[in-house]
Amino acid sequence: MILLLLVSLLVLIATGVPVAYSLGVSVLLYIALSDPHLIFVLPLQLFAGFESYALMSLPLFILMGQVMNSAQITSRLIDFSMLVAGRFRSGLGLVNVLASMLFGGISGSSASDTASIGSVLIPEMEKRGYRKEVAAGITVASSTMGMVIPPSIPMVLYAVVAQQSVGKLFLGGVFPGIMVGLMQMGLVQLLARSGIKRESGRVTLASAAARTFRSLPVILMPVVVVGSVVFGIATATESAALGVLYAALAGFVLTRALKVDAFWGCLRSTALTSAKIMIVIALSQAYIWVLALERVPESIATFVVELGLGATGTLLLVDLIVLAAGTVIDVSPAILLLTPVFAPALQDLGVSPILFGVLLVSGLAVGACTPPVGTCLNVCAAVANLDIGRIFRGAAPFLAANAATLVLATIFPEIALWLPDKLMP
Amino acid sequence: MGIHEFERRLTVALEAVLAAGLLGVLLTILVLVTLRYVFQSGLVGANELATVAFVFLSAIGAAVAVGRDEHIRVDLLASRLNARGRMALAVITLSLVGLLNLVVVAYSVPWIATTGHTPMPASQVPRFAAQVSVPLGCGLAVLYCCRRIAATLRQEPRS
Repeated sequence: MILLLLVSLLVLIATGVPVAYSLGVSVLLYIALSDPHLIFVLPLQLFAGFESYALMSLPLFILMGQVMNSAQITSRLIDFSMLVAGRFRSGLGLVNVLASMLFGGISGSSASDTASIGSVLIPEMEKRGYRKEVAAGITVASSTMGMVIPPSIPMVLYAVVAQQSVGKLFLGGVFPGIMVGLMQMGLVQLLARSGIKRESGRVTLASAAARTFRSLPVILMPVVVVGSVVFGIATATESAALGVLYAALAGFVLTRALKVDAFWGCLRSTALTSAKIMIVIALSQAYIWVLALERVPESIATFVVELGLGATGTLLLVDLIVLAAGTVIDVSPAILLLTPVFAPALQDLGVSPILFGVLLVSGLAVGACTPPVGTCLNVCAAVANLDIGRIFRGAAPFLAANAATLVLATIFPEIALWLPDKLMP
Repeated sequence: MGIHEFERRLTVALEAVLAAGLLGVLLTILVLVTLRYVFQSGLVGANELATVAFVFLSAIGAAVAVGRDEHIRVDLLASRLNARGRMALAVITLSLVGLLNLVVVAYSVPWIATTGHTPMPASQVPRFAAQVSVPLGCGLAVLYCCRRIAATLRQEPRS
């Protein structure tokens, strides 16, 4: 029966049935063949999956990112990044990575990072002598930080599934996210063509101060949103709502680029995006219920413990599985499927669920940049008008930074755990 | 009014409901935060009602996403097939999605009849007010599946 459950899911997903409904149809098949009386579980599990106060933060974080996008804050972020990194050799590559780090702290989504920053910087980088695939590759690879640097939508999802603190997971992503960014900047310096000029000359102190002041409200946003959760001022859902209010005020008052029509469009598109994730969550609850009924998590936990690899060895193995899964399945369903399967086994080995969450999201972020399913690759292909194979070849060297950070955080868990342990003991 | 126009109007109306619902959830949470920090008070059951609205948003939104063919999927096979193969695959996929939703609608009725009268802890609203979102969303999804199967078989261009 387990084989039927797994094989039917894989076949349905591979034939293009939406992931959510592949999960549901697998469960339906299992119930029909094993015990038809269990069919009453389907509406119950679907409803239980939808009915979560904590998950309400999900559409609100998505809305925050969309409103910030519509408020055209990208230009301010790029301007600030130019101020900091533009005077170095291959500065525009560095600007791209730095802007992604800042944008990741605002949108919580890698795909919107790729679209917003890529549409501005890829043509600009091409003009300054970067090969198009390198410019697109840097954009895609650096956008992975959007999922790791807080606030992060996948971290919220993991927190709900694994019943962990959103604040701790946000803090856990800070250092790994910054490490990825710094390593990618180093790689930009190493790999970008030496002929590429500096993008900006000297700036006066007054001009630097004015540009910083102009960007400050945007840069402070992640501090407000993450800080309110970490210091217990608001729940994740409330902090996301405050983030939307902040973003709307920034758009209507500060940049004045946000119009009522555009805000309404953000609401509509957010409701649809969040529903697409919620239906995966709801039907994965039914699938996970069947897995639990068949004692799959316990069997995997026993198998993993009996391998005798120890905590670090097992985590490295899980990293590889996560990276492989990320290439064929989207981030949200991957979190929903892999968490209940691996979390109990890792907890038995003494691995912190916060560490596992950070590693899981960091690994899946790489998957968003790899064919055939990479969401960011597809977005970038549309923005840069380039095929995904060439973009992936451009991104591959920079994704080495993600792989290195993943391995380092696995071997040295303090990279992910020091900050949450210090601020939220 | 033709079926195509009916589908378009239904989708526009549902999307407006989704946007308004999300705005309602957002405003409710902001009001609750303001009441807590500024007036040291709260609204009994408001969180519960926001959750109910969120359940409706998810159920209806999932149905609209079926209509718009926007659900998260892995497109490995369809791109390798010819036009007839793609059409057959689309019909099979939509039939499976429709069947699952139909089963959920059918079994929601006895589930709601059994448990729906229980009041929610804070607002005391009967649970069926929230539970009805499941057959509503799945019913709309069945409707969209039927419409899309018909459109695929007739080879109508996608709007």
